[in-house]
Amino acid sequence: MQAASKWERVASGIGEADRLYSKPRSFAGDVWFRFRHKPTALLGLIIIAVLILFAVVGPFITPYGYDDQNTKFANIPAVLQVYPAPDGHWLYITKALKVVEVDEQGNLVQQLRKGKDDAANKVTVYPYGDGLTVTLDYSQTPAAIQDAEGNRISETKRLWNKTYLLGTDHLGRDILSRLMYGTRISLMVAFIAALVNMVIGIFYGGIAGYLGGRTDSIMMRIVDIISTIPLTLYVILIKVCLDDGLLSIIIALSSVYWVDMARVVRGQVLSLKNQEFVMAAQTIGSSTRTILTRHLIPNAMGPILVTVTMLIPSAIFMEAFMSFIGIGIAPPLASLGTMCNDATDALRTNPYQLFLPAIVICLIMFAFNFVGDGLRDALDPKLKK
Amino acid sequence: MSAASDQEVLRVENLTKHFPAGHGKMVHAVDGVSFSIQRGKTLGLVGESGCGKSSCARTIIRIYEPTSGRIFLEGEEISHLTPKQMLPHRRKMQMIFQDPYASLNARMTVQDIVAEPLRAHHICASRGEEREMVIDMLARVGLNQDHAGRYAHEFSGGQRQRVGIARALILHPELVICDEPISALDVSIQAQVVNMLRAFQEEQGLTYLFIAHDLSMVRYVSDDVGVMYLGQLVEKCEADEIYSHPLHPYTQGLLSSVPIPDPVAARQKESVGLEGDLPSPIAPPAGCRFHTRCPYATERCKQEVPELKEAGPGHFVACHAVNS
Repeated sequence: MQAASKWERVASGIGEADRLYSKPRSFAGDVWFRFRHKPTALLGLIIIAVLILFAVVGPFITPYGYDDQNTKFANIPAVLQVYPAPDGHWLYITKALKVVEVDEQGNLVQQLRKGKDDAANKVTVYPYGDGLTVTLDYSQTPAAIQDAEGNRISETKRLWNKTYLLGTDHLGRDILSRLMYGTRISLMVAFIAALVNMVIGIFYGGIAGYLGGRTDSIMMRIVDIISTIPLTLYVILIKVCLDDGLLSIIIALSSVYWVDMARVVRGQVLSLKNQEFVMAAQTIGSSTRTILTRHLIPNAMGPILVTVTMLIPSAIFMEAFMSFIGIGIAPPLASLGTMCNDATDALRTNPYQLFLPAIVICLIMFAFNFVGDGLRDALDPKLKK
Repeated sequence: MSAASDQEVLRVENLTKHFPAGHGKMVHAVDGVSFSIQRGKTLGLVGESGCGKSSCARTIIRIYEPTSGRIFLEGEEISHLTPKQMLPHRRKMQMIFQDPYASLNARMTVQDIVAEPLRAHHICASRGEEREMVIDMLARVGLNQDHAGRYAHEFSGGQRQRVGIARALILHPELVICDEPISALDVSIQAQVVNMLRAFQEEQGLTYLFIAHDLSMVRYVSDDVGVMYLGQLVEKCEADEIYSHPLHPYTQGLLSSVPIPDPVAARQKESVGLEGDLPSPIAPPAGCRFHTRCPYATERCKQEVPELKEAGPGHFVACHAVNS
């Protein structure tokens, strides 16, 4: 290319500059752009998506209901330490010294029926199949199976429990299925409570902030009074007055947690309402409703969203906590909290029953906190590139 | 001049706006301001920052409730109407704001921003009609159809102010209050915007209340000029008159602070520069409010409040030294 041609005059046109403009990016698009460039936030979102899938689709796949119980297979963990049986099957000894037959793949077959108990030698003989017997030696801990010569078998094998992938609880209910139902309830409680809180908080805070003056003072003093009572105590009191069940938990959570949201919205509205674009809307003659819904709330949406995502984990925790102390979901309905509660009795012998729901609670909390953090950063205009 | 064009569009009588400042004190933002504007004319309102110009404008357009005084829009009193009663009058009176960044909602597209007045007054029957009107209006302020879908942050300051003007003019108002519409823009853009405002005035016979602190720009756009000091109007006359024969010492001081683009002339000019700061509007000085900074202040100025009197034909001034 010749040097001179670089400096040739280009015919002017308004359209040219506009075509060079990038495609207009909406506010939401902008936020999403910044959000997906934050690994923790994206991870949180993926975890939430997986958990939702787990909670919504899972119960349709699993063959067990949350209340299907088989006491013969109670307290069986996910990984089985098994002893060889005479016919090539395997035997698992439960913590309660029951012997369970397991096939080669790890499917539970049956609990063996007790034959003769020799208390003097601390052995129990179980009839097994056609005339065969299996001897359980509980003279030493851990208990073991004896071979044909009466020696304790030391070589054992680990098998994955194929019948109950994550094991069973003390009533022989499938923990995986109960986790699915529990997560479903936790998420449902959290989302509904968050939604209700958002709506109440936006209305209350929006009105207080926009009207200002005495109305604002009175409304915010009410919020102050509500928030001086510890929210946990308040929720417990409400729960005590209402019946057990999902609805009452949602009512209890929804009627309390909106105060934070109301404060956030009120603060935002207060700072936004003196901006010139709100004044412009007033001079135009837009109605108060239009000003609130089209100008103030959309501009306050950032902090509102962050507060909601931060509110969800605390609602989940609150539900789990209430179920744990026994005023939440009524049995046999599963909730992560009731599962933890059920597991505490057998914590020393079957710790996995507590760890599994606890891990799920942690995952949910982590995921929502990550997403909340990510959203807050993505919505912060100061970080705009 | 015909009788119709002679008509007063805006008349303000003794307009007063006090804001509570806590502890029972009041900020005297606007204190007994009176003026009127004829149809198709421009009244420039000048003064230092904090002298109450913007408060005056916002009280007239009824964002603020006037403490006392009366406002007449096309002969009808609007000073104490409820928001509902005010609605039909809002069509006739629109405002252009100072800050083109703060005055446009960042979450709305230009289309929505400009259409907001149409929606508030239920003017368009359909979305299509609305869109047509918006695009037509955008074209008149020098923006095109492609701009309608964009958000305000994608525009330059000048373009944003054009959007603000489009929003104010789409209802075809009688009176447009321009609250320092150009002070946030750079000089080359200022001229474009001001010329556009003048073109609209000629085209539609608009009446402007033009607030600014840039005196040379006010001279260019205004027919009459009012000078405000601490919430009061101290001098009011035709634009050229105020520049050639400023009577009030404050006006003289303001004018001497205008930079002169000719260095020779600038050196010859005697300076009557203003000294000191604006006193607090919470406790304005007794008597003439300007006496604390006035080089000609006498004992009388400290006690007696000067009235706005006609010192020459159409030239009103509130100063004891001039009026006596």
